[in-house]
Amino acid sequence: MNTKKLALLALLVSIVSPVAQAQIKHIEMRVEGMT
Amino acid sequence: MKQHLGRQSGVQTVEVSLRDGKVEVTPKEDGQIDPAQLLKATYDSGVTAAEMDMTARGKIVKDSSGSLALQVEPNRSFALSPNELSKGLEVLADTQTVVTVRGQLYKKPAGKKKADPSVPLNLLILEVQKKE
Repeated sequence: MNTKKLALLALLVSIVSPVAQAQIKHIEMRVEGMT
Repeated sequence: MKQHLGRQSGVQTVEVSLRDGKVEVTPKEDGQIDPAQLLKATYDSGVTAAEMDMTARGKIVKDSSGSLALQVEPNRSFALSPNELSKGLEVLADTQTVVTVRGQLYKKPAGKKKADPSVPLNLLILEVQKKE
């Protein structure tokens, strides 16, 4: 039973983790009219 | 403008270079920042955004119409403007591969004096930095 739960957990982590690592790292803007 | 942008959710630091007309925004660790909101905040502070570039890490996904997008959060993705680099990423669509790309999210339309912050933000990939 525990093995099944662990396998399911490992599967969920492998599916979710790449998206969890995804993110916006940097934004740069060029602007006009700034004083 | 620096204070105005700094108040937006997900923003950690804002660096403004008056000489170059450049604004650099570093998101917080969680990376939960909304570029469209930043564009609007820039517009609201009385400054015109001419261009917005973004470096982001995410998965390439295909939407229901078959168009490619970069998914940076479970509920946020940016449609990719087709170019040679986006074509090269098509094979990674809906796989577990995570890519880091730099691209242009917004460019003020030529001939327009004022930016339109309400336009949908599509990502034109300029550089693929990493595939994992």
